[in-house]
Amino acid sequence: MSAVYRAAIKVADRFVPAKLQPLWNHEAGPKTIFFWAPTFKWALVIAGIADLRRPAERLSLTQSTALAATGLIWSRYSMVIVPKNWNLFSVNIFVAATGLYQLARIVNYRRELEARN
Amino acid sequence: SSSSGHSRMSAGGNLFTRGLRYLASKEFRSYLCSTHFWDPVANWGLPLAALADVKKNPEMISGKMTTALFFYSMAFMRFAWRVQPRNMLLFACHFTNDTAQLVQLCRFTDYWYVKDEAQRQQLRRQYEDAAGEAAAEVAVAEPKK
Repeated sequence: MSAVYRAAIKVADRFVPAKLQPLWNHEAGPKTIFFWAPTFKWALVIAGIADLRRPAERLSLTQSTALAATGLIWSRYSMVIVPKNWNLFSVNIFVAATGLYQLARIVNYRRELEARN
Repeated sequence: SSSSGHSRMSAGGNLFTRGLRYLASKEFRSYLCSTHFWDPVANWGLPLAALADVKKNPEMISGKMTTALFFYSMAFMRFAWRVQPRNMLLFACHFTNDTAQLVQLCRFTDYWYVKDEAQRQQLRRQYEDAAGEAAAEVAVAEPKK
Protein backbone atom coordinates (compact mmCIF):
# COMPACT_ATOMS: atom_id res chain seq x y z
CA MET A 1 0.00 0.00 0.00
CA SER A 2 2.70 2.46 0.94
CA ALA A 3 4.46 1.82 -2.38
CA VAL A 4 1.28 2.88 -4.19
CA TYR A 5 1.02 5.99 -1.99
CA ARG A 6 4.64 6.97 -2.54
CA ALA A 7 4.30 6.54 -6.31
CA ALA A 8 1.15 8.68 -6.34
CA ILE A 9 2.86 11.40 -4.29
CA LYS A 10 5.86 11.39 -6.65
CA VAL A 11 3.50 12.03 -9.55
CA ALA A 12 1.58 14.71 -7.64
CA ASP A 13 4.83 16.47 -6.66
CA ARG A 14 5.45 17.30 -10.29
CA PHE A 15 2.07 19.01 -10.66
CA VAL A 16 2.35 21.31 -7.64
CA PRO A 17 3.06 24.86 -8.89
CA ALA A 18 6.32 26.40 -7.70
CA LYS A 19 4.58 29.04 -5.56
CA LEU A 20 2.74 26.42 -3.52
CA GLN A 21 5.77 24.14 -3.06
CA PRO A 22 6.69 25.47 0.45
CA LEU A 23 3.09 24.88 1.62
CA TRP A 24 2.91 21.45 -0.02
CA ASN A 25 6.18 20.35 1.60
CA HIS A 26 5.56 22.03 4.98
CA GLU A 27 6.15 19.84 8.02
CA ALA A 28 2.54 20.41 9.06
CA GLY A 29 1.34 20.35 5.46
CA PRO A 30 -1.07 18.17 3.49
CA LYS A 31 1.39 15.28 3.31
CA THR A 32 1.36 14.91 7.11
CA ILE A 33 -1.07 13.79 9.79
CA PHE A 34 -0.67 17.19 11.53
CA PHE A 35 -2.74 18.65 8.73
CA TRP A 36 -5.29 15.90 8.19
CA ALA A 37 -6.15 15.11 11.81
CA PRO A 38 -7.40 18.62 12.66
CA THR A 39 -8.96 18.85 9.19
CA PHE A 40 -10.82 15.63 9.85
CA LYS A 41 -12.23 17.04 13.06
CA TRP A 42 -14.55 19.06 10.80
CA ALA A 43 -16.39 15.77 10.19
CA LEU A 44 -17.51 15.98 13.83
CA VAL A 45 -18.94 19.44 13.13
CA ILE A 46 -20.73 18.21 10.00
CA ALA A 47 -22.14 15.20 11.86
CA GLY A 48 -23.22 17.54 14.66
CA ILE A 49 -25.02 19.84 12.23
CA ALA A 50 -26.70 16.83 10.57
CA ASP A 51 -27.80 15.71 14.04
CA LEU A 52 -29.65 19.00 14.62
CA ARG A 53 -32.62 17.38 12.92
CA ARG A 54 -32.76 14.54 15.46
CA PRO A 55 -35.60 14.79 17.99
CA ALA A 56 -34.37 15.88 21.40
CA GLU A 57 -35.37 12.65 23.12
CA ARG A 58 -32.95 10.69 20.90
CA LEU A 59 -29.90 12.78 21.80
CA SER A 60 -27.22 11.58 24.20
CA LEU A 61 -26.64 13.97 27.10
CA THR A 62 -23.20 12.59 27.95
CA GLN A 63 -21.93 12.77 24.38
CA SER A 64 -23.09 16.38 23.86
CA THR A 65 -21.52 17.43 27.16
CA ALA A 66 -18.27 15.69 26.28
CA LEU A 67 -18.15 17.32 22.83
CA ALA A 68 -18.94 20.79 24.21
CA ALA A 69 -16.30 20.45 26.94
CA THR A 70 -13.59 19.11 24.64
CA GLY A 71 -14.37 21.83 22.05
CA LEU A 72 -14.10 24.63 24.60
CA ILE A 73 -10.91 23.36 26.24
CA TRP A 74 -9.14 22.66 22.96
CA SER A 75 -10.16 26.07 21.60
CA ARG A 76 -8.27 27.66 24.45
CA TYR A 77 -5.27 25.36 24.23
CA SER A 78 -4.81 25.72 20.48
CA MET A 79 -4.14 29.40 21.18
CA VAL A 80 -1.70 28.61 23.99
CA ILE A 81 0.50 26.17 22.11
CA VAL A 82 3.40 27.30 19.97
CA PRO A 83 2.82 27.84 17.09
CA LYS A 84 -0.84 28.88 17.32
CA ASN A 85 -3.00 26.54 15.33
CA TRP A 86 -5.89 28.50 13.81
CA ASN A 87 -7.28 25.45 12.01
CA LEU A 88 -7.53 23.56 15.30
CA PHE A 89 -8.96 26.65 17.00
CA SER A 90 -11.72 27.18 14.45
CA VAL A 91 -12.77 23.54 14.29
CA ASN A 92 -12.95 23.30 18.08
CA ILE A 93 -15.03 26.49 18.29
CA PHE A 94 -17.56 24.85 15.98
CA VAL A 95 -17.44 21.53 17.87
CA ALA A 96 -18.14 23.42 21.10
CA ALA A 97 -20.94 25.45 19.48
CA THR A 98 -22.80 22.41 18.10
CA GLY A 99 -22.23 20.51 21.36
CA LEU A 100 -23.59 23.38 23.45
CA TYR A 101 -26.59 23.84 21.17
CA GLN A 102 -27.49 20.14 21.38
CA LEU A 103 -26.97 20.28 25.14
CA ALA A 104 -29.41 23.21 25.37
CA ARG A 105 -31.97 21.25 23.35
CA ILE A 106 -31.66 18.21 25.62
CA VAL A 107 -31.92 20.27 28.81
CA ASN A 108 -34.95 22.16 27.51
CA TYR A 109 -36.65 18.95 26.44
CA ARG A 110 -36.09 17.29 29.82
CA ARG A 111 -37.32 20.38 31.67
CA GLU A 112 -40.48 20.37 29.56
CA LEU A 113 -40.96 16.66 30.30
CA GLU A 114 -40.65 17.25 34.04
CA ALA A 115 -43.01 20.22 33.88
CA ARG A 116 -45.58 18.09 32.09
CA ASN A 117 -45.24 15.33 34.72
CA SER B 1 19.43 -10.68 41.02
CA SER B 2 17.58 -8.74 43.67
CA SER B 3 14.15 -10.08 44.47
CA SER B 4 11.19 -7.77 44.15
CA GLY B 5 10.54 -5.53 47.13
CA HIS B 6 14.18 -5.27 48.19
CA SER B 7 15.70 -1.99 47.05
CA ARG B 8 19.41 -1.90 46.41
CA MET B 9 21.54 1.05 47.47
CA SER B 10 22.77 1.41 43.89
CA ALA B 11 21.82 3.61 40.95
CA GLY B 12 18.39 2.15 40.26
CA GLY B 13 16.61 0.74 43.22
CA ASN B 14 13.69 -1.44 42.32
CA LEU B 15 11.01 -0.49 39.84
CA PHE B 16 8.62 0.69 42.54
CA THR B 17 11.00 3.13 44.25
CA ARG B 18 12.23 4.38 40.89
CA GLY B 19 8.64 4.96 39.87
CA LEU B 20 7.88 6.90 43.04
CA ARG B 21 11.01 8.99 42.62
CA TYR B 22 9.93 9.88 39.06
CA LEU B 23 6.49 10.93 40.27
CA ALA B 24 8.09 13.28 42.80
CA SER B 25 10.55 14.76 40.29
CA LYS B 26 10.44 18.28 38.90
CA GLU B 27 10.14 16.85 35.39
CA PHE B 28 6.90 15.08 36.17
CA ARG B 29 5.42 18.02 38.04
CA SER B 30 6.09 20.36 35.11
CA TYR B 31 4.52 17.77 32.79
CA LEU B 32 1.40 17.76 34.97
CA CYS B 33 1.16 21.54 34.55
CA SER B 34 1.68 21.42 30.80
CA THR B 35 -0.69 21.40 27.89
CA HIS B 36 0.65 17.96 26.91
CA PHE B 37 -1.16 16.58 29.92
CA TRP B 38 -4.34 18.65 30.13
CA ASP B 39 -5.35 18.47 26.45
CA PRO B 40 -5.62 14.66 26.52
CA VAL B 41 -7.32 14.82 29.94
CA ALA B 42 -9.97 17.06 28.37
CA ASN B 43 -10.37 14.61 25.50
CA TRP B 44 -11.02 11.66 27.84
CA GLY B 45 -14.57 12.99 28.23
CA LEU B 46 -15.42 11.54 24.83
CA PRO B 47 -14.51 7.87 25.44
CA LEU B 48 -15.95 8.01 28.95
CA ALA B 49 -19.23 9.39 27.58
CA ALA B 50 -19.30 6.63 24.96
CA LEU B 51 -18.60 3.92 27.54
CA ALA B 52 -21.42 5.30 29.72
CA ASP B 53 -23.76 5.19 26.71
CA VAL B 54 -23.07 1.52 26.00
CA LYS B 55 -25.71 0.39 28.45
CA LYS B 56 -28.29 2.94 27.35
CA ASN B 57 -31.03 2.66 24.76
CA PRO B 58 -29.46 2.04 21.32
CA GLU B 59 -31.91 4.58 19.86
CA MET B 60 -29.78 7.26 21.50
CA ILE B 61 -26.87 6.40 19.19
CA SER B 62 -26.32 8.74 16.27
CA GLY B 63 -24.90 6.67 13.39
CA LYS B 64 -23.36 9.72 11.72
CA MET B 65 -21.66 11.06 14.83
CA THR B 66 -20.38 7.61 15.87
CA THR B 67 -18.84 6.96 12.44
CA ALA B 68 -17.27 10.43 12.39
CA LEU B 69 -15.83 9.90 15.90
CA PHE B 70 -14.45 6.50 14.86
CA PHE B 71 -12.42 7.93 11.95
CA TYR B 72 -11.51 11.05 13.92
CA SER B 73 -9.99 8.90 16.69
CA MET B 74 -8.05 6.83 14.15
CA ALA B 75 -6.55 10.01 12.71
CA PHE B 76 -5.67 11.34 16.15
CA MET B 77 -4.09 8.06 17.25
CA ARG B 78 -1.54 8.58 14.46
CA PHE B 79 -1.30 12.30 15.32
CA ALA B 80 -0.51 11.50 18.96
CA TRP B 81 2.10 8.95 17.84
CA ARG B 82 3.87 11.29 15.39
CA VAL B 83 3.65 14.59 17.28
CA GLN B 84 6.77 15.87 19.02
CA PRO B 85 6.94 14.92 21.84
CA ARG B 86 5.01 11.67 21.42
CA ASN B 87 1.81 11.84 23.47
CA MET B 88 0.90 8.39 24.76
CA LEU B 89 -1.91 9.71 26.96
CA LEU B 90 -3.66 11.15 23.91
CA PHE B 91 -2.99 7.92 22.04
CA ALA B 92 -4.57 5.87 24.83
CA CYS B 93 -7.56 8.24 24.93
CA HIS B 94 -8.26 7.86 21.22
CA PHE B 95 -7.61 4.12 21.28
CA THR B 96 -10.25 3.75 24.00
CA ASN B 97 -12.59 6.05 22.08
CA ASP B 98 -12.22 3.96 18.93
CA THR B 99 -13.06 0.80 20.85
CA ALA B 100 -16.09 2.41 22.47
CA GLN B 101 -17.35 3.94 19.21
CA LEU B 102 -16.92 0.58 17.45
CA VAL B 103 -19.04 -1.07 20.14
CA GLN B 104 -21.70 1.63 19.66
CA LEU B 105 -21.57 1.22 15.87
CA CYS B 106 -22.11 -2.53 16.24
CA ARG B 107 -25.05 -1.93 18.60
CA PHE B 108 -26.49 0.63 16.17
CA THR B 109 -26.15 -1.70 13.14
CA ASP B 110 -27.56 -4.63 15.09
CA TYR B 111 -30.53 -2.61 16.36
CA TRP B 112 -31.56 -1.02 13.06
CA TYR B 113 -30.39 -3.57 10.45
CA VAL B 114 -30.31 -7.01 12.07
CA LYS B 115 -33.20 -6.99 14.53
CA ASP B 116 -36.74 -6.92 13.22
CA GLU B 117 -39.43 -4.41 14.22
CA ALA B 118 -40.96 -6.75 16.85
CA GLN B 119 -37.63 -7.11 18.66
CA ARG B 120 -37.13 -3.33 18.51
CA GLN B 121 -40.58 -2.72 20.00
CA GLN B 122 -39.78 -5.15 22.80
CA LEU B 123 -36.49 -3.41 23.57
CA ARG B 124 -38.21 -0.02 23.45
CA ARG B 125 -40.73 -1.21 26.02
CA GLN B 126 -37.92 -2.63 28.19
CA TYR B 127 -36.08 0.69 28.26
CA GLU B 128 -39.29 2.63 28.92
CA ASP B 129 -40.17 0.31 31.81
CA ALA B 130 -36.68 0.71 33.23
CA ALA B 131 -36.98 4.50 32.92
CA GLY B 132 -40.45 4.36 34.49
CA GLU B 133 -39.12 2.35 37.44
CA ALA B 134 -36.28 4.80 37.95
CA ALA B 135 -38.71 7.73 37.92
CA ALA B 136 -41.01 5.93 40.37
CA GLU B 137 -38.09 5.36 42.74
CA VAL B 138 -37.31 9.09 42.64
CA ALA B 139 -40.97 9.91 43.31
CA VAL B 140 -41.05 7.55 46.29
CA ALA B 141 -37.83 9.02 47.71
CA GLU B 142 -38.96 12.66 47.47
CA PRO B 143 -41.75 12.72 50.12
CA LYS B 144 -39.27 11.38 52.67
CA LYS B 145 -37.06 14.47 52.29
